[in-house]
Amino acid sequence: MADQNKAEIDGKFYSEILSPSELFAARSRSHKLPVKGQKDFIPDGSEEQRRRLDQSLSEHWSLISEERVERLGNLVKAKWIPAERIVELQSPAGKFWQTMGFSANGKQLLQPEEALYLMECGNLQVFSQDLPLSIQDGYESFLSSSSVSLQQYQVFGHLKRLGFVVHRFDPSLEPSCYVRQLNLPPSRDRAARQQKRKRSPSPGTTSRTRPEHQDSSSADRMEEEEVQEGHRDLSEGHLSSTSSAGPAGRGRSWWQTDTPQDQSDGSAGSSHTHADRRPSFALFPDLGSKERLSSALLPPDPSLLPGGLEVGTCDVASWRKKINLREVKMSSKEREREEDRSRRRWDVNRDRQVLRCRNWAEYRELLSRRERRSRGRQEHLWNHEVTPLHDPRQPISTEELLEKITVTQSTNLLEGASSIKEWDEWRICFSVYQPDTVADFRKSSPGKPYARVCVCSFDGPVPDLRAVKLLTFQSGDVPVVFAVVDCGDLSFYTFKDFQLPTDVYP
Amino acid sequence: MRFESSRMERPEDSARVVGVSVCDSAPLLWRVEDLRSVRRRGLVGALLGSLPRSPRQNCRMGRPLLLLPEEERLLGESRTAAAALPAPRQDGAQLELRVRRHEEEQQRSFEEQSVLALEDRKSSLLCAMTSPDTGSPPEAGAMDESLQRRLEDLDRSFVFPRSALGVQLSTARAGLSYCPEARAFLQAEWPIRGGQNGLSRDTKYQVFRDLRGRGFCLTSAGKFGGDFLVYPGDPLRFHAHFIAVCLAADEAVGLLDVLAVARLGSNVKKTVLLCSPAEDGAVTYTSLQWSGMV
Repeated sequence: MADQNKAEIDGKFYSEILSPSELFAARSRSHKLPVKGQKDFIPDGSEEQRRRLDQSLSEHWSLISEERVERLGNLVKAKWIPAERIVELQSPAGKFWQTMGFSANGKQLLQPEEALYLMECGNLQVFSQDLPLSIQDGYESFLSSSSVSLQQYQVFGHLKRLGFVVHRFDPSLEPSCYVRQLNLPPSRDRAARQQKRKRSPSPGTTSRTRPEHQDSSSADRMEEEEVQEGHRDLSEGHLSSTSSAGPAGRGRSWWQTDTPQDQSDGSAGSSHTHADRRPSFALFPDLGSKERLSSALLPPDPSLLPGGLEVGTCDVASWRKKINLREVKMSSKEREREEDRSRRRWDVNRDRQVLRCRNWAEYRELLSRRERRSRGRQEHLWNHEVTPLHDPRQPISTEELLEKITVTQSTNLLEGASSIKEWDEWRICFSVYQPDTVADFRKSSPGKPYARVCVCSFDGPVPDLRAVKLLTFQSGDVPVVFAVVDCGDLSFYTFKDFQLPTDVYP
Repeated sequence: MRFESSRMERPEDSARVVGVSVCDSAPLLWRVEDLRSVRRRGLVGALLGSLPRSPRQNCRMGRPLLLLPEEERLLGESRTAAAALPAPRQDGAQLELRVRRHEEEQQRSFEEQSVLALEDRKSSLLCAMTSPDTGSPPEAGAMDESLQRRLEDLDRSFVFPRSALGVQLSTARAGLSYCPEARAFLQAEWPIRGGQNGLSRDTKYQVFRDLRGRGFCLTSAGKFGGDFLVYPGDPLRFHAHFIAVCLAADEAVGLLDVLAVARLGSNVKKTVLLCSPAEDGAVTYTSLQWSGMV
């Protein structure tokens, strides 16, 4: 297919330009790739092998030397602007505009790597100084270590040919975890409803979101603070009521009687038989309990009531008379059991050894003696400065015990990552989006990428933990993939955070 | 052990100089003749670009060809490669001339293609008109009246739209080749690209040169954990037999590394070769093969 032109005056002019008849004949070219046959194991000098090798090679050369021929109507024209390192479209873009390129100053622009890829696909013809660029010109002009390197372009092209949507990664345009968590609607009109949820602008949001919020957010913030205060009052009010009930209702030791102490301090409304660890906003008195309660219920906290309602004390005496009327019929055994339960079993005064103690000091000594003896053979372990981590007679959950004896703390990949300073050697180059989203892909809101790619090579250093942490932190919750270039071959590696499973249930 | 690559080298091609163009400090070959001549010397390289016939796949790639640093060095030493001329800077009158020439060529191409398109249409019309009627081929001059009229209509009204013009998107840049006088000049300016630690580069190069001299073809083997993949012949026809790992003669190698690379080799059914060049240039080879349980 390649055509060697006639020699020019100044030496052998080499070009692979096709004649018009060849260009015309190209429309009936096949687009099929020849199938690669089975390979042989070892060269045996046979004629058959040589024939097959020649055939493979000739197929290879015919494929390689084929030049790109496109209909002029299918080509999009573009211009290379070296000063800005950008390609400007001069005729309307084709289907590729859905996932590639960007608009600026009313013009349609392409990044150099996107333009070069489209040139290689035969969709774009780029002109520089009114002359069309060859692919070689494109490689030499567009790719450089300062903008897009050859290795990065190899990765870009590889992923694009697989069908992925690949964009350059700009860390400053990345919304922080917090902003993503809020899941704000993509519309520019931020409804006041959405702003109420925001407590304060996060440090990670970009400057363009802040001016939109400033005017309306202050009013909303005030409103929200009022509501918050209201909540705080409530909880405080109830904490105080529970605390006053504390010495009365909470933590009864086994030598106290069942009947609670005098509730005359007025917190009868909040008495309950056992301490409630979690503060609840409304405490319901147990009117059915057998305990002696005052027959009046105090009015509840006015902040609990709908506005403007006044409630006085409630006389419950008449109600209490109406409940607990039925006598529970119990068999003799059940009755015995009930009596047993309500009886206290052990009276310390019945202990003879305790009776022998004449004063508190002796009693305490008796107690410590008893404790020592119960320790048994491990007595000596507890006498010194360094004592065992845990007394086996004390109840403890397995999880807590494991935590006590653990030597190293498990950590996760992002720990300490926010404090790592950036440095040029490792940086994320591209964001990659799934190929099956191409139909609904919108450049303005691409969504969450499938992966982020960092390009490196086998010649260079292996990423150390610091680099991995930095890149994972920059990428947020999108996995980071290392694309390693090896002279034309690409390999993809990723590091995943992993927690060792703890097979312990408390 | 020596393998003869029978049709690989022809004496008249060994003198041919290829033009290596540098893109982002990587040596690339663009012209088909250069690729051919380099392949004839047993250097495979790696194709990086999209294949024009089928650009959206990664199995078979097209030009440019990326050379291994060892391949580039070998070509440089045998004086068969030279830095290709960069794109000529155009300005003013020369540029205008070129633009005009390009436009003229495109116009000429358009005219020629219009003629060809018309002929093509006529012949397809002939085929369509004559074949359903009778099986016999039409006699010269005995054409139907309507057919004649149709053809005349076509002559008058046929328009080949500009948008249907076939346009070539060149892969390689057209330019000068090398006359012998220019070759010496170009080679004098052969860029010496350093790269990383020169010692390991030297080791790899000596191993490469030795293996190539014995007739093997070598490509990069980063994916296999080694330095080179060694083929007994052209990679298009044969599987690789060895994974070559280059070590300096005095380099200490941990046992775990040896085990790792041996395991890797056995998993991909290739023999691992530990290669160390000696002072005098001869290279010692040690092969690792998993022997299995005794």
